[in-house]
Amino acid sequence: MNTPLEPTLTSHLSLATEALIENLLAAEPIVLYHRAQIRFQADAPARALIDRLSAAQADVRQMQSRREVAQADIDQLRALQGEAQANRVIVDYMQTQQAAIGFLREINREISELLGVDFASLAKRPGCC
Amino acid sequence: MPDFILNELEIAPREVVLQAARDFAAALAETPQFTTFEDTAEHLHRDEAARRALDAYQSKQQSLQAVLMLNAASDANRAELQRLHAAVVSQPSVAAYAQAQADLMIVCRSMADMLSQAVGLNFAAVCGSGCC
Repeated sequence: MNTPLEPTLTSHLSLATEALIENLLAAEPIVLYHRAQIRFQADAPARALIDRLSAAQADVRQMQSRREVAQADIDQLRALQGEAQANRVIVDYMQTQQAAIGFLREINREISELLGVDFASLAKRPGCC
Repeated sequence: MPDFILNELEIAPREVVLQAARDFAAALAETPQFTTFEDTAEHLHRDEAARRALDAYQSKQQSLQAVLMLNAASDANRAELQRLHAAVVSQPSVAAYAQAQADLMIVCRSMADMLSQAVGLNFAAVCGSGCC
């Protein structure tokens, strides 16, 4: 049974959540991530490259499972990986995403320390993998 | 790189963001779901019968871990494990704890969903220590 939140506590928790969101959206790692994301979304060649890389990775995984992977497929995948690693927009997007994730983990540690339980574990949905 | 220069006015200082996280945790700790969760955890910790049942189940489960992973446990062992599990879940303090945890998880998921939607990253998935 889900116990409904008491109105005052709902309001208190709502306000605290809104304040946390507002602060997160103004935190440097998140701001940088969002800016990099906008640049990536606006860069059609970068997005096309990531699509080609994802498709090539999926193809190679499938071929590996059938033991049919050829050296040419590996070479093509490595070439695409190299191209992506040399693309400033993609690299910025990936690096700022990792920094944003690191920051969110720090936020989770702060919350969890005060609660005495891991907040993210309690919030995780079953079968998320 | 002019596009990388941040306007300092729009950036929240790290300590301010961390304080907002602590305020959020304090507000969550005041909810009836969290206080009930803590109360039931404490009750379970003090309930010797429940802890004995839990120990017996966990001990049996550990001893059968390898055969269970290989799906090679005998019918007798499986039946014994089921009996011990039933003994655990029939303990009122265990049932109360499980219900309180489930109720708290609903609140936590709801809050984490709001954070995820705002930030654009799945908060629970990227912060969790689980399988993802």
